[in-house]
Amino acid sequence: MRSKILSRDKREARIAYLILIPIFLYIAFWNLIPLILGVLLGFAEYNVLRPPEWVGLRNYRHFFASGVYMRLLWRQVWIGGIALGINTALSFAIAMALNNKARGRGFFRTSFYVPAVAAVSVTSAVFVALIDPFGGGLNRFLVSIGRDAIIWNHSQFWMVFWIVVYFVWRSMGPAIFIWLGGLQGIDPSLHEAAKVDGASAFKRLRFITLPGLRFVAAFIILTGIIGAMQMFDIIMFLTAGNPYGRTITLMYQIYRHGAVRFNLGMAGASGTILGIFTLLFAIIYFVYMQRREAKYDA
Amino acid sequence: MPKPVRFISRTVWYIVMLVFSFIMLYPFIFSMLAGLNTIDEFGHLGALFPVPQNPQFDNLLFLFTPRGIRPLINTFTRTAWYTVVVCTISVLMGYVLARYTFKGKRVFLVSILAVQVIPAVLTLIPAFVMMSHIPFVGGNNWMGMGGRGLINNSLALYLPLGWGFLIWTFLFMQSMKSLPRDFEEAGELDGCGFWRKIFQVIIPLQRPMIAVIGVNVALSVWNDWLIPFLYIRDTQRNTLPAYLGALVSALQQFGERDYPRIFAMSTIAIIPPFLIFLFLQKYIIQGIASAGVKG
Repeated sequence: MRSKILSRDKREARIAYLILIPIFLYIAFWNLIPLILGVLLGFAEYNVLRPPEWVGLRNYRHFFASGVYMRLLWRQVWIGGIALGINTALSFAIAMALNNKARGRGFFRTSFYVPAVAAVSVTSAVFVALIDPFGGGLNRFLVSIGRDAIIWNHSQFWMVFWIVVYFVWRSMGPAIFIWLGGLQGIDPSLHEAAKVDGASAFKRLRFITLPGLRFVAAFIILTGIIGAMQMFDIIMFLTAGNPYGRTITLMYQIYRHGAVRFNLGMAGASGTILGIFTLLFAIIYFVYMQRREAKYDA
Repeated sequence: MPKPVRFISRTVWYIVMLVFSFIMLYPFIFSMLAGLNTIDEFGHLGALFPVPQNPQFDNLLFLFTPRGIRPLINTFTRTAWYTVVVCTISVLMGYVLARYTFKGKRVFLVSILAVQVIPAVLTLIPAFVMMSHIPFVGGNNWMGMGGRGLINNSLALYLPLGWGFLIWTFLFMQSMKSLPRDFEEAGELDGCGFWRKIFQVIIPLQRPMIAVIGVNVALSVWNDWLIPFLYIRDTQRNTLPAYLGALVSALQQFGERDYPRIFAMSTIAIIPPFLIFLFLQKYIIQGIASAGVKG
């Protein structure tokens, strides 16, 4: 009897290894090599045409000493921060408004989510066409109501504005769904009890709704930070970094160094720095999730 | 609340919601209308609602002519390929991780979760460099030098497998754990081997979870314009969203702008994910809910 059980365990272990090891090796090949390669690139000067040359810490020194890259990192942080902040607040407000039994709320929820199911490359052309300063729909409209046309793409303010608008337009749907999930997870009897005790709507929001959403908020904000720190596609399509390079962010610069100019050493070094910076948030998020899961299980 | 106040607040609620959802849907309406314009008409009209005077369907139909259909086909095959691959590995790995005991299981589990944390910025550009240095293809020697490797090769759209997909393995494993073992044990008594157990017991029982995986993977792969955009230069080998990406980023440069063509293509490119979303919404929502562990 005992030997039979043992052999069954062995058979299962063999099947498990036969399945797991090849797939893991295959995935490691396509992901682990780039990860290591990226760190190595940061220590090299390489432009595809000539073989790579080891330059030690020169790229990293350049990153911190030149000032340019720190400015780009800062710009990534503040543009991403504004976009994420507005998205978080607005999606919360809409989720609160949609958290009822009104007729047609299904339609509204769906329409809020639709922008998120289309790729950035598929929808950004609309914004590009609308804010075209010469002949774009928005300026025509402004002129037709008697206002001056605005040369959007000559102003950093307006281009950041449109980047934020596009970001919020596209990211609001998933955030609304997550907020709604959190809102529906709050025990309605708490609200009932508070109402009986005479708590105002504001007090109920402050002391029941918001504490109940702490976990959902952490999820939205932390995953949002991870996304916003790596956002470059919207910038590439809407502004290409203009006017005068004043909407170039660090991630967009990494993309340009890597895929357009083949300044791969700098792409590797700044990618590693931004990656580690983002990783910090990702680890906070991960630890928080684990702890919450442990609490949930207990 | 008194009746009139309630009526007013209801009305205000509906108006605000209608305005917001109109803003959300407006770009799609614009895109659909503009795709039916001629270049001249669009250039001269440039209105908020570019309603075509006499609708042109040439740009829409071009995507279904022998010369124009390749990007659409490529997007379909790539989406189908990754959906099948990810569903298969999720089921197989998720099953053995949930049910079998073996040495080193923790190592596999921890690495599945740990890699979810790694930001894409760390691998984006180096993966591109690696692609251009794959040995023996695209004129490369055994050292991977001298040619362009898999860049501009269709294989680049099918071979790489991002480790982000492993989250679905994890979720399948979770869903396996909540399934009682009775069914499999009954199958085992009947002498089912591993593969028969997978195909005749597990897959039918786990159909809802597999649908969640399939729908979410299909949506993300269909919309993944970045990888094809980076790796493929040739229109005929590219996917539709990536080809659009190339056209849209070219709008920032000087030159001829064929907006109606871009909008016609956008309209076509949005239809499949839109239909998936409309009819399989519950699987997507479930995906968002269960991807709470996802980074």
